[in-house]
Amino acid sequence: MNNKAVLVVDDSLTVRQQVGLTLTSAGYQIVEACDGQEAVDALRAHAEVAMVLCDVTMPGMDGLEFLETIKGDAAGPPVPVVMLTTDGSPDLIARAKRAGAKGWIVKPFQPHLLLAAVRRIAGEPG
Amino acid sequence: MAPGDSNEARLTELLCLSAATLLADLGVQPEWRTGVRQPPPTGESVAAFSGFANNELRGSFAFLGPRKLFARLHPLPQTMTLRDWADWARELVSQAVGRFCNRLLAYGVQLATSVPQGALAKEVRLASSLDPARSPILFTIEGLVLEGWLELDIAPSFRLEESPLHEARAALREGTIVFF
Repeated sequence: MNNKAVLVVDDSLTVRQQVGLTLTSAGYQIVEACDGQEAVDALRAHAEVAMVLCDVTMPGMDGLEFLETIKGDAAGPPVPVVMLTTDGSPDLIARAKRAGAKGWIVKPFQPHLLLAAVRRIAGEPG
Repeated sequence: MAPGDSNEARLTELLCLSAATLLADLGVQPEWRTGVRQPPPTGESVAAFSGFANNELRGSFAFLGPRKLFARLHPLPQTMTLRDWADWARELVSQAVGRFCNRLLAYGVQLATSVPQGALAKEVRLASSLDPARSPILFTIEGLVLEGWLELDIAPSFRLEESPLHEARAALREGTIVFF
């Protein structure tokens, strides 16, 4: 049983459910947020979050603004963030990398590949 | 895309291909055609749209179809609630527009996209606000029809290259995972 929690940030309930189903089947706990500001709040409220999967285009604070916000947040240790989005633009990917993202996944995802990516970022055997 | 086709025709074809590959990834094999209208759908429908823009090209893309078609395309087997229908339609149209924008990057065209919007409706019919003669793209999926509406407002200075020129600037393909 895995006791690590993953924060899933996406304005689509369907995507949050898809990701949640994939990761809970491997024992991860899921914390959800529907935009960047909710994600900032969730990170502060849930110390058990070990990594973040984050969409880019969302209402309010988007995924890249979220990344840039937590990069400057000295409240806690850095949590690895992987972007999960329909956008494959090299410019946005470069911006995410500069802001400290650990990876980029272009939707749609294959569940077993998403799980392997989460395990890799979490430093667990695949 | 054939050389000499108009910007609009070639953009429409890129959008059709983007939407068709998205639908294929969801496990269906759509047939698509343009230039055809059909009677307004009866019963409850789901609609969603997303916009895109740069300095020379702006527009939007919308999906409109019966609820049971969106259920057929949904990735999770479940009983869908009212909010699930609009949510899933928004995600679908967002992914279609995302693919379209990703493909255009290889032509040197970079677009910003909007947050998608969705709605449930009865006996709704979409029409173009810019060109009354424009017709929908019809995707036929297992006997059900998904309408796609592409609105384009193209500046006279805009020119879409005949073929992809910017391989180095090409977007990551769907399903790709990269680590930094």
